[in-house]
Amino acid sequence: MKRLFPYLLVLMAGTGYAQSQFTQPRYVNYTEFGGLFGRVAYGPSIAQTVENRLSFTAQTFNGVQVSRQLAIGGLVSLDWYKTALLTPVGAGLRFDLIRHPQQNVRLLAIADAGYGFAWFNKNSTGYELNGGWMVNPGLALRIGKPSSTAFVMSLSYKRQSVDVQKPLSGVDIQRDEHRIYNRMCFRVGISF
Amino acid sequence: MILYMKSNRLLLFLLPLLSLTGCTDTCKETRTFRRYSPVTFTAAQVRQGIQTEPPQALVNPGKIYTKDQFLFINELKEGIHIVDNRNPSDPKPVAFLRIPGNGDMAIRNNILYADSYMDLIAFDISNPTAVQTVKRVPNVFPNGSFEGGWWSFDPASQLLYDQKVSYVTETTETNCEEGVAPTNWWGGVFFSAQTSAAVNDKSGGSVTNGVAGSMARFALYDNYLYTVNQSAMQLFDIKNPAEPQLGNQVQLGWGIETIFPYKDKLFIGSQSGMHIYDNANPEKPSLLSVFQHARVCDPVVVHDNLAYVTLRSGNQCGGFTNQLDVVDVTNLTSPKLLKSYPMRNPHGLGISFPNLFICEGAYGLKSFDVRDALNIDRNLLQHIEGINAFDVIPLEKSLLMIGKDGFYQFDISNPRQLRQISRIPISRPSYY
Repeated sequence: MKRLFPYLLVLMAGTGYAQSQFTQPRYVNYTEFGGLFGRVAYGPSIAQTVENRLSFTAQTFNGVQVSRQLAIGGLVSLDWYKTALLTPVGAGLRFDLIRHPQQNVRLLAIADAGYGFAWFNKNSTGYELNGGWMVNPGLALRIGKPSSTAFVMSLSYKRQSVDVQKPLSGVDIQRDEHRIYNRMCFRVGISF
Repeated sequence: MILYMKSNRLLLFLLPLLSLTGCTDTCKETRTFRRYSPVTFTAAQVRQGIQTEPPQALVNPGKIYTKDQFLFINELKEGIHIVDNRNPSDPKPVAFLRIPGNGDMAIRNNILYADSYMDLIAFDISNPTAVQTVKRVPNVFPNGSFEGGWWSFDPASQLLYDQKVSYVTETTETNCEEGVAPTNWWGGVFFSAQTSAAVNDKSGGSVTNGVAGSMARFALYDNYLYTVNQSAMQLFDIKNPAEPQLGNQVQLGWGIETIFPYKDKLFIGSQSGMHIYDNANPEKPSLLSVFQHARVCDPVVVHDNLAYVTLRSGNQCGGFTNQLDVVDVTNLTSPKLLKSYPMRNPHGLGISFPNLFICEGAYGLKSFDVRDALNIDRNLLQHIEGINAFDVIPLEKSLLMIGKDGFYQFDISNPRQLRQISRIPISRPSYY
């Protein structure tokens, strides 16, 4: 991140064309990456083990600014969970919580939802991963001149469900796992 | 100012939402497995139990067999359901033949051969509602297994030691990763109930045989009934079908699962491989070759010069392989593996060329086009999920399928879109 920051600054500085008034729908893009922070507790209730989890996430949101406050669009993400590489594809919105989006610092509500596909996941022998639904609501800060490339930071909650068929052994007839990844998602990126 | 207040309210609304969820992954594994408990019977108890009873509901179905539009559905260790299938859309159970310790069957003319733990019994089924015992060949099978549970018979004490199987479903919390296999591993036991194969033999004349599934351990060829147990093939001379006589015994090695007669060859599926026997002299099959593979369970079906073998891990089979092997058996003395395809948990299979049907246990039924033997995985025509598939018998236009949730008949005229003609459900609310 530290190494990327100068590049981001250059990108932001290079696009300073102002467009102050909302006139017509225009293309918006939010490209971010970051981490999915969470924990997992497992084992019998008298001997629970709690571990921390951190997974890498990247997302690009492409849409249109349909009003001064609201942008809607589609999104594609990549989430590297420890044993699941998922590609959520879905739709989302970016809503300005401050009505006059003329400030250099803007607070946005983000709401994304979609389906996490397991297209790029490679299964270990005996495992079969199937994707599941994803929801991702949260807040974002957009720092930069309106209508120019800006720096974006977001904090959101990401819930992703996944179904896994596990290898059968011994006396097993059926062995399936339903996973719900509940993560705090922190991302940084750019928006234009 | 007002704007800020509004956004603050929104924040107040959103933040508890974030914290409530706790950001903790929850992963629940649901696992169904078998549990065994020992039981003991006396030989007299076993032998007295044979009788014809009114039709009963399917509870724990095993193998299937069909002859002359009648279906024979094994009820594991309990007996055989006899079903009138002259109208496939409305099969009618006509009787239940109670045979303690029954798992396999074969029919020639109007004689039904069935195992009853250690004995082989011949029944006259000319009248399916009043089946008569015509002959019992005692103490021919020393041991065997049902659903992974072993039984063995001690002729000296006349005691039969068996294991009762119960199904247990457990839900556990996991760490959301690919952990190791659960404990209580039962190695070294085998599955008993599976097999399907269209039986063709040259016994000719007025002799008519039934059709078994790929999981069968009984096969008819010429004047002989071939039965395989865990380690040997026992022949019965059935020149006079009502009078089966004990014939030769062929030692096969350990872990024999299924037998599939094709032309004048016998293909025997075992845990360690596929044995090919030349049956030119039906009285004395001779070993041609053994196609070795990992130590797993494996029913076999054959079409022309290709053998299709499914390897399955789980229960008594051991191993961690679940795949379909296509084996070139053009040269019967040295079979060659053409290609392996990963599968989920394949049980019985059936071929009605160019279609191959594979039972995936709790994961449904798959239909493949196998004209291109090297690209079978790309030719999955249909995958019916949500049913339990154990074994199939493909007939000319229909497919008989048995699973732990019932007996199904499908119309296979369009192999991409199997149409369910009928179903006989099991009587339990849940099949495990």
